[in-house]
Amino acid sequence: MNFDIKDPFFSEKVEAVKALSNVIDPELFVNIIDLGLVYDIDFSSAGLIKITMTLSTPHCPLREAIESGVKNVLTIFPDRIVDINVVWAPVWTVDMITEQGKSELGIE
Amino acid sequence: MSDLNTSKAAAELAVLPFYAVATLAFFVLSVLLFISADYMGGHYFQPKLLAVVHLAALGWATMIIFGASYQLLPVICESPLFSSILAFASFILLTIGVYLLVVSFWFFQTGWLMICGGTFVLLSTLCYLANVLLTSQIFHQYSIQTLFMVSSALWLLFTVIVGLLLAVNLHQPFIERNHLDILKLHAHAGIAGWFLQLVTGVSIKLLPMFLLGRSQKERLLRYAFFLQNCGLLLFFADVFFTGFSSRALIWAALIAGGVICHMLYLLDVFKHRLPKPLDYQMKHSFLSFLFLAITLLVIPIVVISDSGHWSILYGTLIFMGWLTAIILGKTYKTLPFIVWNKHYKNLTGKQKVPLPKHLYNETLVKLQFFIYIAAMMVLVAGILSAVSMLVKAGFLLFIAVSLIYGYGVLSILFHKPKSS
Repeated sequence: MNFDIKDPFFSEKVEAVKALSNVIDPELFVNIIDLGLVYDIDFSSAGLIKITMTLSTPHCPLREAIESGVKNVLTIFPDRIVDINVVWAPVWTVDMITEQGKSELGIE
Repeated sequence: MSDLNTSKAAAELAVLPFYAVATLAFFVLSVLLFISADYMGGHYFQPKLLAVVHLAALGWATMIIFGASYQLLPVICESPLFSSILAFASFILLTIGVYLLVVSFWFFQTGWLMICGGTFVLLSTLCYLANVLLTSQIFHQYSIQTLFMVSSALWLLFTVIVGLLLAVNLHQPFIERNHLDILKLHAHAGIAGWFLQLVTGVSIKLLPMFLLGRSQKERLLRYAFFLQNCGLLLFFADVFFTGFSSRALIWAALIAGGVICHMLYLLDVFKHRLPKPLDYQMKHSFLSFLFLAITLLVIPIVVISDSGHWSILYGTLIFMGWLTAIILGKTYKTLPFIVWNKHYKNLTGKQKVPLPKHLYNETLVKLQFFIYIAAMMVLVAGILSAVSMLVKAGFLLFIAVSLIYGYGVLSILFHKPKSS
């Protein structure tokens, strides 16, 4: 996920990514940013943070836990409500995992 | 749009009791096998062996499969579980049914006790089948994984009905065909219909998930479905109309072809996985498939040979090898997550929480793996050499495995979160 430094919400987005890096996928033991599960962070609507994300598996039994984690870490923006939109396109693939994530997964 | 795929983790009541009772059943099974080890050299139609086979098939394997299925059906079918109440009803009915059946076989009390046991198992099966059909919505949305789940549940129903008829026949003979031939149909509907197709359906969904691998060769799964079911149906028609003969090898070859297609698919997933180190839970799964392959190789000897110990070896490889290995590993891939969800799903991101793998001792899983391998090697050597002491030693090791496994399962079930 890349952000434009000219984006008016650039610093908020960087803060959000930092916070979301504390949400761990309980199955893979890697945070959702390094797994590439978060597709977009949108601060453009007043009072809202729109998170567009996916899961490694549709109907993942841990979905509620991951969504709860996202909402909990984004309480650093107390004036905004977190709106999570889970999407299945584009389909998540292992190619979306960052180098850091691969390293944490023990991938050679 | 996100509501379309809202995940609702199955209620704990629909899953956890199955694991608890199955764990107890595994321990009791290991003890009963140790006690009845002297019967391992003879014919399989003996009260003690019939009791332990039903405890292994229903109390251990089916019990845990029901629980795991209620947890995994929403993942496999991509739809919430239809009814947790129906799931719990199936647990109560299965537990009573298994108890009555095992007691009646052990003391060979043919009659109402055995028939009632079979009836409870049948009612439990109907609850399970209803949940599978209504969760999968197979008539509206097709996937090969769902198809295997539905076909396995239908084969279970067939197995249980035939079993109940055999129980009635023992009390009041009415089946004109040879009882032992029908018993073979009952056993193989369970093995190649219920267990094999269930394991196929679950593994083709879960192994790609756990291995982070994908295969484009889904046609192999369609071949697997076709071959496994055709082989089984032809075997039934042949045995029912003409009696058991060496033609069974042809039908077994068809089923084996289905297993090979399934294995080739998993091999392709394995080749296209992310090359991360395999954990001991996955190693249990691979060991399980090795036992399945050995079982298939033993079939020709079982069919041709008249010797009872080859049949005993065949049953041992299926229940204590293939099915037990996959359960021992997969338990740690499923149970910790539902317990973790119960305690921590609302706390993630708020405070430091353990991961599901921290709910049990991984060193014990490793120990369980090696003692299990030793148990199987000693047991198989004992059965092949007809040395009773070796068979007993193998079952003693199985008691150790069941205790380690039981400790692991109970420590997960009774996990208490530490206050932050």
